[in-house]
Amino acid sequence: MATIYNSYNRNDGMIWRASARRPLLVLSCLVILITLQTIGCSVTSMPTAAFSRAELSLRSAVEARADEFAPMDLQRAREKLEGSKKAMAAGRYDDARRLAETAQVEAQLAEAKADAEITRLAADRLRQRGDTLRQEIERGVTR
Amino acid sequence: MIMKLKRWRAMAVMLAVGSCFLVGCAPVSNPALERARSAYERVRRDPEVAGRAAVALDKTRLTLEQAERVWAEQKDVTEVEHLAYLTEKRAEIALATAKRRLAADEIQQLKPQRD
Repeated sequence: MATIYNSYNRNDGMIWRASARRPLLVLSCLVILITLQTIGCSVTSMPTAAFSRAELSLRSAVEARADEFAPMDLQRAREKLEGSKKAMAAGRYDDARRLAETAQVEAQLAEAKADAEITRLAADRLRQRGDTLRQEIERGVTR
Repeated sequence: MIMKLKRWRAMAVMLAVGSCFLVGCAPVSNPALERARSAYERVRRDPEVAGRAAVALDKTRLTLEQAERVWAEQKDVTEVEHLAYLTEKRAEIALATAKRRLAADEIQQLKPQRD
């Protein structure tokens, strides 16, 4: 009887202790949650979107033959993208975003310069051909 | 007489403090931002760019406006310098785009002559 009573008593005690701890547990959970949220809001996240945009612009510049016609700008963009990768690995996300954005714009500039140069060369060729043709006609040489 | 002198001195001190406050409130210039502004203005006024690179010019203006906003609201020097650099590069893109369009127009004009 005594043992039964004791065990009952023990159980009661456990229940009481557990119910007394519950608000404490809830409160600590809440504190942890709020802290995590605050940290999440204040720390910048990984700039993966900016990085992929920069990578895409760089590929597009290479396709536009920026390697030949705007090598300096393309090299600069490549270096910035590499820097962005390193900053990302080191957890410096703000630096990584800025470097990725810079790489993107520099790659776009390389592409624009390459496009302009290719078009100008085509125009020059066309003008020269026209000039030669005119000269030949003036000289009376017909083919 | 001494009282009058003291009052004048107090007023002078107040004036000095007040002007210091005013100077503090006046917008401080940022050299990178100044460079970005002049780069945009130069490209905007370039007769070769007008009408040939409207989108690129618009992007330049938007980046410059963002730089101005960050400077006015946050005074974040690193971010402003970054945005100012982007503005300068975008201005160069506008110039290159205009040059490409100019060459393309020339090709269009030369083509009928060749035929």
